[in-house]
Amino acid sequence: MRLVIDESRCKGCNLCTLVCPYRIFKPGTTANRRGVIVPELDRPERCANCRLQHLYGRTLCGVCQMICPDQAISWEEEGACEPVKVAIEY
Amino acid sequence: MSYDEWFRDDRLPHIYCAGCGNGTVINCTLSAVDQMGWTKDETVFVSGIGCSSRAPGYIVADSLHTTHGRAIAFATGIKMANPDLRVIVFTGDGDLAAIGGNHFIHACRRNIDLTVVCMNNMIYGMTGGQGSPTTPQGALSTTTPYGSAEAAFDLCGLAAAAGANYVARYTSYHVKELIRAVRTGLETPGFSFIEALVQCPTNFGRRNKFRQVMDQIEFFKSHALLVQKADRMREEGKKIPDDMIVIGELARRNRPPLGVRK
Ligand SMILES: Cc1ncc(C[n+]2csc(CCOP(=O)(O)OP(=O)(O)O)c2C)c(N)n1
Ligand code: SF4
Ligand code: SF4
Ligand code: SF4
Repeated sequence: MRLVIDESRCKGCNLCTLVCPYRIFKPGTTANRRGVIVPELDRPERCANCRLQHLYGRTLCGVCQMICPDQAISWEEEGACEPVKVAIEY
Repeated sequence: MSYDEWFRDDRLPHIYCAGCGNGTVINCTLSAVDQMGWTKDETVFVSGIGCSSRAPGYIVADSLHTTHGRAIAFATGIKMANPDLRVIVFTGDGDLAAIGGNHFIHACRRNIDLTVVCMNNMIYGMTGGQGSPTTPQGALSTTTPYGSAEAAFDLCGLAAAAGANYVARYTSYHVKELIRAVRTGLETPGFSFIEALVQCPTNFGRRNKFRQVMDQIEFFKSHALLVQKADRMREEGKKIPDDMIVIGELARRNRPPLGVRK
């Protein structure tokens, strides 16, 4: 699964940057077309839900999605992709 | 249905200000409803007037956006007419405790089978930040420019004293706990009241030293006191500071409910 922020919904409140245990969300730097500074994702493949949702068959963690007041955070299925090496922090 | 199917995609993004805690409470409530496995045809959302009361408009299920303060009265009607429906009320602090205060305590007394989720932003958000019955003492609002001189209502204490079967308080920071509380409320026959303290950056935060949305969330995080710990402190004779927010499950009992099919 891939973590995505829907730019058409995000209002740039930065609450997601506060809750993620992996600090995946970082305050953004540039305003988008709507004038909103959307947070940037720092190596989102570390997200517990991205890695383990399929294994457990349910949403894991998901705190960012719940706290996001604008329903902007979700996970989408990934297509076939190049294998990448992921370093997981404990 | 899955969690995100409960939202009306065509209506999003909603009209709430950036960082408004109401959106978080909608997420948590829908997540709890989704966990219950209810369908949209059997679930009804009712609300009064206010920012918080706009919530049902973003949900696919049937909803009733009623007059100011009367959400519980309309919800009582729905439940009595058709006890098979699952009725959830979204309300604000002004809606519930000021103009709708009497409906609230009488619904608790009747113990009617509703789940009421109150988004308490401690202010009248929609009308520009007037003080509400839950504005904390000393807080600034447009009608209390020198700080509110009155004591605030303890909504949960009110519900528990009036006879609600389930009463809990959390904040928009405590999302997991809030989901669990709403879920318990949905499972409980009789009146369930869940108070969610939320940030209103536009009308409350801005006037009360919470310049950023995050500041008020940090305040909720650092000033939340679990009810068990608060009880222990009271037993030990320690004073609980006035600005602490007691969170947790505040009442759970088994009085006979109204509006449940036998
Ligand atoms: C009968 C009536 N009186 C007054 C109003 C004006 N009014 C609209 S919203 C509101 C306050 C809502 O405050 P609250 O319930 O706390 O919701 P919030 O906007 O803070 O979420 C008031 C007084 C009204 N719409 N109808
Ligand atoms: S919490 Fe949601 S709306 Fe706020 S910055 Fe993060 S993605 Fe955007
Ligand atoms: S689900 Fe949890 S780990 Fe994944 S991005 Fe959100 S907060 Fe971080
Ligand atoms: S005025 Fe306050 S309660 Fe209303 S949408 Fe804005 S932040 Fe939310």
